[in-house]
Amino acid sequence: MRRIRAWGPGFLLVLPSLILLGIFVYGFLGWNVRVSFTDWMQFGETSGFVGLQRYSELAENEVWWRDVRHLLVFTLVFVVGSLLFGFFMALLLEKGVRGENFFRSVYLFPMAISFIAVAIVWRWLLDNGSGVNTAGINKLFAYIGLESIRSDWHKTDSGWAVAAVALPAGWALSGYVMALFLAGMRGVPDELREAARVDGAREPAVFWHVVRPMLWPVIMSALVILAHISLKTFDLIYAIDLRSPRIETPAVYMWFQTFQANFYARGAAVATLLLLGVAVFIVPYIWYSLKTERRR
Amino acid sequence: MTMTSDAVGIRLDRVTKRFRGGVTAVREVSLDVQPGEFLVLVGPSGCGKSTILRMIAGLEEVTEGRIYVGEKDVTNQLPQQRDVAMVFQSYALYPRMSVRRNLGFGLRMRRVPRAERERRVAEVAQSLGLEHLLDRRPAALSGGQRQRVAMGRAIVREPKAFLMDEPLSNLDAKLRVSMRAQLSTLHQRLGTTTVYVTHDQVEAMTLGQRVAVLRDGVLQQCDTPQEVFRRPVNLFVAAFIGSPSMNFVAAEVTGGQAKFAGFTIPLPGEPADGQVVLGVRPTAFSLATDANRDLPTMTIQPRLVEELGDERYVIFDLDAPRVDTEATRAAVEAQTAEDALLLPENKAQFTARLPADAPVTIGEPLTLAIDPHRVHLFDPQTGLAR
Amino acid sequence: MNGKLRSPWSPYVNTARYVLLFALVCFFLMPIYAMLVTALKAPAEVSVPGMWELPERWSFESFQAVWDRPEIRQGLVNSVMLAVPASVISSILGAANGFVLSKWRFPGADIVFPLILFGMFIPYQAVLIPLTRFMTDLNLRGGNDPTNGLLGLTLIHIVYGLPITTLIFRTYFAGISDEIIESSQVDGAGMLRTFFFVALPVAPPAFAVSMIWQFTSAWNDFLFGFVMTSQQGWPVTIGLNNIANVQTIPFNEAMASALLASLPTLLVYIILGRFFMRGLMAGALKG
Repeated sequence: MRRIRAWGPGFLLVLPSLILLGIFVYGFLGWNVRVSFTDWMQFGETSGFVGLQRYSELAENEVWWRDVRHLLVFTLVFVVGSLLFGFFMALLLEKGVRGENFFRSVYLFPMAISFIAVAIVWRWLLDNGSGVNTAGINKLFAYIGLESIRSDWHKTDSGWAVAAVALPAGWALSGYVMALFLAGMRGVPDELREAARVDGAREPAVFWHVVRPMLWPVIMSALVILAHISLKTFDLIYAIDLRSPRIETPAVYMWFQTFQANFYARGAAVATLLLLGVAVFIVPYIWYSLKTERRR
Repeated sequence: MTMTSDAVGIRLDRVTKRFRGGVTAVREVSLDVQPGEFLVLVGPSGCGKSTILRMIAGLEEVTEGRIYVGEKDVTNQLPQQRDVAMVFQSYALYPRMSVRRNLGFGLRMRRVPRAERERRVAEVAQSLGLEHLLDRRPAALSGGQRQRVAMGRAIVREPKAFLMDEPLSNLDAKLRVSMRAQLSTLHQRLGTTTVYVTHDQVEAMTLGQRVAVLRDGVLQQCDTPQEVFRRPVNLFVAAFIGSPSMNFVAAEVTGGQAKFAGFTIPLPGEPADGQVVLGVRPTAFSLATDANRDLPTMTIQPRLVEELGDERYVIFDLDAPRVDTEATRAAVEAQTAEDALLLPENKAQFTARLPADAPVTIGEPLTLAIDPHRVHLFDPQTGLAR
Repeated sequence: MNGKLRSPWSPYVNTARYVLLFALVCFFLMPIYAMLVTALKAPAEVSVPGMWELPERWSFESFQAVWDRPEIRQGLVNSVMLAVPASVISSILGAANGFVLSKWRFPGADIVFPLILFGMFIPYQAVLIPLTRFMTDLNLRGGNDPTNGLLGLTLIHIVYGLPITTLIFRTYFAGISDEIIESSQVDGAGMLRTFFFVALPVAPPAFAVSMIWQFTSAWNDFLFGFVMTSQQGWPVTIGLNNIANVQTIPFNEAMASALLASLPTLLVYIILGRFFMRGLMAGALKG
């Protein structure tokens, strides 16, 4: 009895949130999975149970596999690029430079802007007008005499065209990665570095033997966060070029299947696969984070 | 303020605490704190003393047994329902409240009318010399001032009991000594039943009217400081109480004499024959030249002399193995820095306290007298006093 | 710097460091530069190939033109109506959850918390279909709703904001000492009074972090707004996307719209960047 009196009020206080999240997260996820097992085509129509048919259709759907390939390319370029870029920026700032706040703020500010605005600007920066109409980044290359590396960016037919979209995505998020790395590097106690220096290590050795091993959690966090953003990203791609099949990813495909084609069941199947893709690494990540927290 | 006459006792009836995961922090502890008494719970860290205090406060659930405050069984009451006040090690002052509001918080929560509240806060602030600090935030106070605010917050509530969890351990050594004296004075004035937790046996001995020594969640001995010091019930209490620690050596008792490391000491009373652990406090030694001729003597070779100004500790080795029971080790580790590593060849090491002018030269033989009435004998198997 | 011993190479290393840092500044500000110079040119002067050139005549005409568009003006109003209550309410609920989950735990709190956290990472596509259905049934979506879906959208942002606000407050409250909470209990306060009198007064920094984070994500959301609102209720991101996706819109007006739509979050970032940073860190699950 004493127990319930002790924790009961606290439980009541969180109960409304738990109910809301229970419905909006777990209820809807379940509902969505259920929809993916039906042949629901038009809004409001009742629908029959068809088992895994939607999924087997996807398995034979070339558009789906093309979009998956796009997603993999996008994820690879975006995640690796942002990680390297962010790490490099953190390394530059790590020792403490004059005006650090200014640099940090500039590198991080894209995080405050919507992907829609980012897409609208970058659409023009990636514009591939040619000759006198050359614009955007190509034009910048031209200014500094590097016309030869001009590119058709996302408008080429190559399967790698979607990698160009990773550029604005990386522009928006590598500052975030930098902030994570910087926090990780600064979290290494000064005494550890000093001990290593007194033991005769030069700065690169200090970094390699003392700082680097402590950065693994940061790298894990950054990887997980970037990867899950990459899977979810819809607005950036949609707003850069909504009709381009060259940069379409499953998140965009889901949108078109659901809200343009009204093929709800297939949209739900795609969304379920996205969810699985995210859960595969988010669940271990949460589990691991809370486990280390408890150990502290 | 509270007068001695309203003081109530606190009774623990075979209280056990098991934490989730199966660790038993407190085992069947029974304690009877008299109304108005100052009782100190002492023991090495992890002995369960803080858990007992927290169970009395209601912050920790009791697994088995009952707790009574006065006549009332409070075992199942929430902390806010028990009329006790607690002083925490970190003081736990509310950071966004002024000293005045910190002091008055408990009264406010108990719906004491504003005028009454202000009067009591002012009174306590005055008695603790906090009047000029009333509008400050805790962050703007020194350690000693914070400590006084924490005490004041407990006093102002005029609770049935004070519970104090190492309240002096965050102060520097000098301040700690002066606060210790103030605490005693305060208790004499208020007469409120107090349970005080510390790991510092000096604090325990100086503050407590009675001292309860705990080890691994088990109550070892609860008695006045003198009794605990003079008649420790077992090896653990003997080794834990007293500084420097009691000296131990394995000895054999035959015909009323203790034999160890080539020495023979006649014992008073009529001790039974057998193997014992012999314990002798550093203060039981004196220079043979200064002492009563009838006292038995030991001639030893000083290995080290520690100067303390008005006295010196002479450390010497005995030609006998070190007594290394689990009980003595636990107690000694809790008291002093681990020095066992530096001991030569695992020999028993003794410390004798001598006057500062005692003529001691390292390596030169020295004859010490030993008071046989102050020799303790313990059973080597059970560790209990014989 | 601060009198430490330095290697003879350090002046060169330092110069290289600053050169690189400034090159990065240029990279990050490049789109903003293009936006600004384009939006501030007189319309006659604007050309896509000339996007990097400074205006010959500075002019606010582009801003004037987009300000008159309902997608932007109404959109800004809608976004404010949406993001402010969403961030405030979500933060208050998050504060309560965070307090309970760190300082007034109930059995099973260790299981409930990760379940809450998971909600932060789900792809919202996976709840979108049931969500639209559910909100339609409640008459909280699009045209059926007198607020044009704004009310429902606010609710959605409150709910999906709960995981991160809970996390922010839980991390924050975990940092305050247990003894203060216990002291308050011994002083006679129950859960609610401990929350209000002891925990909330120390929480303003966490509120700043949580509200800024929530405000920014509600403001920048596109997906939910897209499916939940009808034209009158479009948040500014939807309006922005819609006018910018029309091929006929002048380049300068697209830039001016994007600037206007980003201004509120940018201002929050510039003024309260410190708290914004902390929100980012919380999102990585590391306090």
